[in-house]
Amino acid sequence: MTDFMLFLPELFFIFGALLFFVFSLRKAPNPAGYHRWAVVVAAVGLLVTVASSHQEGMLFFNCYRVDLFSQIFKVLLALGTIWVIFSSGELKGIDPRQHAEYYFLIFVCTLAMMLLVSSVELLTIYVSIELSSYSLYLLVPMRRNDDRFSETAIKYFMVGVTASGLMIFGISLLFGVAHTTYVPQLMKVLPTVIAQPGAIVGLILALAGFFFKLALFPFHIWAPDVYQGAANQVTTYIATVSKMAAAAMIIRFAGLSGGASPAMVKLLIVLSIASMTFGNLVALIQKDMKRLLAYSSIAHAGYILIGILTLTSQGYACAIYYAAAYLVMNYSVFLVIMKVADDGHNLQIKELAGLHKRSPLLAMTLMLGLFGLAGIPPTAGFTGKFLVFAAALNKGYLFLVIIGMVNATISLYYYLIVIKAAYLLKPVKEYPAVHVDLWTRVVSIGLVVMTIYLGIFPDQFLSITESAARTLF
Amino acid sequence: MTAMNMAGFPILTTILMTTIVGLLVIIFIPPEKTKLIKQVSLASASTGLALCLWLYHAYDFHKGGLQFVERVLWVKSLGIYWFNGIDGINLPMMLLTSVVLFTAVWTMWELENRVKEFYALVFLLVAGVYGVFMSMDLFWIFVWYDVSLFPMYPLIAIWGGTRKEYGAMKLTLYLLAGSAFILPAILFLWAKAGGHTFDLFMLQKIGFSLFDQKVAFLMLYLGFGILAAVWPFHTWSPVGHVAAPTAVSMIHAGVLMKLGAYGVLRIGMMLCPQGAVYWSHLMALLGTIGIIYGALVGLAQTDLKYVIGYSSVSHMGLVGLGLATMSVNGINGAVFQMFAHGIMTALFFSSVGFIYDRTHTKIIPELGGLSKTMPIASAFFIFAALAGIGVPLMASFWAELLVLTAAVKVFPVAGILACVGMILSALFMLRVVQRTFYGDKNPKWEHIPDISRFLAVPRVVLMSCILFFGLFPKVMLDVIQSTVIPFVTRF
Repeated sequence: MTDFMLFLPELFFIFGALLFFVFSLRKAPNPAGYHRWAVVVAAVGLLVTVASSHQEGMLFFNCYRVDLFSQIFKVLLALGTIWVIFSSGELKGIDPRQHAEYYFLIFVCTLAMMLLVSSVELLTIYVSIELSSYSLYLLVPMRRNDDRFSETAIKYFMVGVTASGLMIFGISLLFGVAHTTYVPQLMKVLPTVIAQPGAIVGLILALAGFFFKLALFPFHIWAPDVYQGAANQVTTYIATVSKMAAAAMIIRFAGLSGGASPAMVKLLIVLSIASMTFGNLVALIQKDMKRLLAYSSIAHAGYILIGILTLTSQGYACAIYYAAAYLVMNYSVFLVIMKVADDGHNLQIKELAGLHKRSPLLAMTLMLGLFGLAGIPPTAGFTGKFLVFAAALNKGYLFLVIIGMVNATISLYYYLIVIKAAYLLKPVKEYPAVHVDLWTRVVSIGLVVMTIYLGIFPDQFLSITESAARTLF
Repeated sequence: MTAMNMAGFPILTTILMTTIVGLLVIIFIPPEKTKLIKQVSLASASTGLALCLWLYHAYDFHKGGLQFVERVLWVKSLGIYWFNGIDGINLPMMLLTSVVLFTAVWTMWELENRVKEFYALVFLLVAGVYGVFMSMDLFWIFVWYDVSLFPMYPLIAIWGGTRKEYGAMKLTLYLLAGSAFILPAILFLWAKAGGHTFDLFMLQKIGFSLFDQKVAFLMLYLGFGILAAVWPFHTWSPVGHVAAPTAVSMIHAGVLMKLGAYGVLRIGMMLCPQGAVYWSHLMALLGTIGIIYGALVGLAQTDLKYVIGYSSVSHMGLVGLGLATMSVNGINGAVFQMFAHGIMTALFFSSVGFIYDRTHTKIIPELGGLSKTMPIASAFFIFAALAGIGVPLMASFWAELLVLTAAVKVFPVAGILACVGMILSALFMLRVVQRTFYGDKNPKWEHIPDISRFLAVPRVVLMSCILFFGLFPKVMLDVIQSTVIPFVTRF
């Protein structure tokens, strides 16, 4: 019975997925009804996940671990999922006949990521990541009658399977070196053999699969096209929820090295710098909001990596904090995008002109979200950057931090351009009014409050992430 | 010090809250009620002013040291404290902030465009400024520092004038580039001290190695130096001043630039005294170049606001030179100059703002003979110009005197060059006054009425401030000195 309780959130999402599988068999689609059902399922899913957040235990012959680390990420995943589903009320980017499949795949993907963050066996991890990837491969091409973006799904798939091929190769190398695929065992064996090239190459290649998910340089090339080519809601899902799982798994794999591998740290530093710099520089010239956010997500992958590459429990705690802050801020921005472009088209920056008159609340949500992404206090984004930089300096990486801060300044330029559009530019033509219903108001205010509250009072949440990071060792 | 030692009423947090409460109240007032918004703003600014005056009165400079301390643990694992306190260096700065805010709010009484947002952003900005001055915890100093910077972007870009979008973006990026050095430096010191505390006074006791001090001080000097408009990082400053609306120029030149110099003094020189000594020649050099460069470029300007902008570069160079001497007189003078210059530039921008509102030009050749059509408004500018030159009986006279005597003693060449720079700046000030206010009347401006009594109030407040501290410099110098004397023994 206790085993059943440990697995409750996952079971619940399996149930949700099955429900929509049944719906998808119906002949006459009922999008509005599906949306109501999905919101209810996701809301209950969030409650169940939160309720089981203090569970601890092992399942399935000890290859599935439920602990504070996995439960925090499950809460974040469930939270992101309900946000995305909540904004799917006007799912204009996807054919109504496919709405049931859309919800089905979203629930399957969330389920897969929940399995992922709890798995402590390399093969379970691989199966889970493939399950989540294949759901996304199907979600991306769902965008309706837009041939312009048909290339997107293929590109995503190709890059994805390449990364996953590299990953399974890395896993096989790890097995060859350590003679085990069980993570707790690996944590004991790997630090003793980490000096061997096979171990480092194996670890890095195994990480590649997650770097792909996080859109870290050089596995980022899918991001701009997929962000632009997928329906707004799917992009939101990829940009928020799936990043959480990727961050969790990079933390777990980095922990495998036992904190004593200068070669790997150097490589991660290089990747982090390349990712921040490349993402920010290319973002400077973007015109499309989603492309801009894609490049900004590449940059943010670099910032998260700064916390992880310290290979200390403090660094992991800060990285988890940063990831959570990123979820909130990024969703704030995407919420505005989905609401302003509620017919499902790709929003251009100039279309935000005069948003502060069309909807002051959305304009404020956008501004705080972007300021958070730029790392301006008193938002959670600032505190997150402060924390990961602090962790890095505790290990003495002064130059990395300076480069990170210079990058934050560069990023401010393009975030300011978007804010300028929302607050200063006069619309060149009459844009349709923005419909902001009661629930959107509630969610926007909630996001704004969360961004500021997490930023000013990080203590509580930080102590949770710290105990979560400790469970890794 | 114990974790909790909140002696009595948290006066500093209350001062900070006057701005934040003002901001929140303004947010909930409907935008059409502009009159009410202005009244609320003025009420909140005057409460801050009254509290700061009380604070100034209640500070015991015989005892010296940190007073009115508030200290609460904020984030346990990193050692962040909500730690505020007042000593002889930040007390004048708090007073300056409250005076400039009060007069700036009043100066903008005629604003019509997006009034609500304007005052909300101004209060956010000033909350940041108060926060930097009162905080004794590096984390909060940095947080408030950034909070005070980013409202500048909308304030200039929406309500600004000449090349406003360019000026706003340039200013914001420059200043945040500064924080790209400050944050690593702060975290560097924190990590070197073991990563337990951001408390300024606990860090001070640790004693960093000479190399660490050199590295950290250089980063802090560059970072804060950008905000203090140290040559060659000053270029944002005149452009930003020119683009900004009157009240924002007043707060910006009057208070915000002081944050830079204050940061160098409070964090840089306090935590890295040996590093500061090592780099003092660089500071003196850049300060002196700033003085002369600002004066020379100022000579060639035709736009009134550019003139003031470059004179600010010149005067802030003097602050830098004063700090570089690392002597009692030099630092005394520098802090006093920060105060005097803040009040003086606020008066400058306030009077130019009035002239610009009425004539819609601030180009010197288009003006001319203004003292005949609007004698009172002109008198304010001329008074500020006299203060800028450093005429005796003005507060800045004492400040400049102290800095220059200290500079001649410690860096003879730089000191003498700075004296020459002062003469140059006197020259260009007088030239501007002569061209703008005397000479032939421009018939275009004849019909313009002089400044009303109501609008003259904030200018008179600023003027009397300059005169008061010019006549009784001891009132301020005693306070500053009480902290600077123990401070200097560390070099």
